[in-house]
Amino acid sequence: MISPLTLGILFTVMSMLLVVVVALRTELANAPGGRALIFVAFFAFPVIASWGGASEHLERSKQTAFCLSCHVMRDFGRSLYVDDKSYIPAAHFQNHRIPPQEACYTCHTDYTMYGGLRSKMRGLRHIYVEYFGSVPEPKNIKLYQAYDNNVCLHCHLGARSFEEHERHRKTSEMMGGIKSNKISCMTSNCHDIVHDVDTLKDASFWKGGS
Amino acid sequence: MGAPEIKRRTRRAGLLIGLGLLVQLLTFIWVHPLAFITFLAVGCPLVAAGVLLYLYALAVHEQRHGDR
Repeated sequence: MISPLTLGILFTVMSMLLVVVVALRTELANAPGGRALIFVAFFAFPVIASWGGASEHLERSKQTAFCLSCHVMRDFGRSLYVDDKSYIPAAHFQNHRIPPQEACYTCHTDYTMYGGLRSKMRGLRHIYVEYFGSVPEPKNIKLYQAYDNNVCLHCHLGARSFEEHERHRKTSEMMGGIKSNKISCMTSNCHDIVHDVDTLKDASFWKGGS
Repeated sequence: MGAPEIKRRTRRAGLLIGLGLLVQLLTFIWVHPLAFITFLAVGCPLVAAGVLLYLYALAVHEQRHGDR
């Protein structure tokens, strides 16, 4: 079966050829239906091809490979393969609790389209820093703001393993605090081993899944 | 604007659109942020410029014909 990407590429190639043919043979405009052909070649097809291409690139930007294609992200990618289930991203990635092909995107967006315009601008800034700025050491890379529990709760809320876990109910206010984002999942001595890229040199790695 | 003028503009528009689509096509080779940026910052503006030039040529041509 032909994939959407192949179809998109074929459509773009066809649009390109049509534009070239029509541009070289402008006398086609005088033929019956010639104006309609030029309109399709110079307006409809290029707009559809560009729209489809932008959509394909947006989908690609969700891929784990996209995020890890920048050198500075390499250690964060390696941390997904740590053979230690106390590493939260590794446990989620290796056990397919998140889609492995979209691992970064799944946990680092706030379940709006890329977390809004601010996230997109940050993405552009990251690219600028990668090529023109001074790239920090991976261990010095921190989130802009505390990790939002809602990203975890998007999947775990209502799950028996989360709702009934004794650690989540150590005190009467604890569950409410977690759900209202007052007690962080990551910084409460519970799930605080995340990427921890500065510890990777001593870690052992899972060899499967790649 | 006479027939040669609209032909010239149409050719230029075709060149811009063709070039833009070629750039867009090439960006599909890589899964990389730079490919995305090239698509948005080079490919799309070239296509948009070509489409606008074509529409402008068409509008001016129609206006001249309407005046006659």
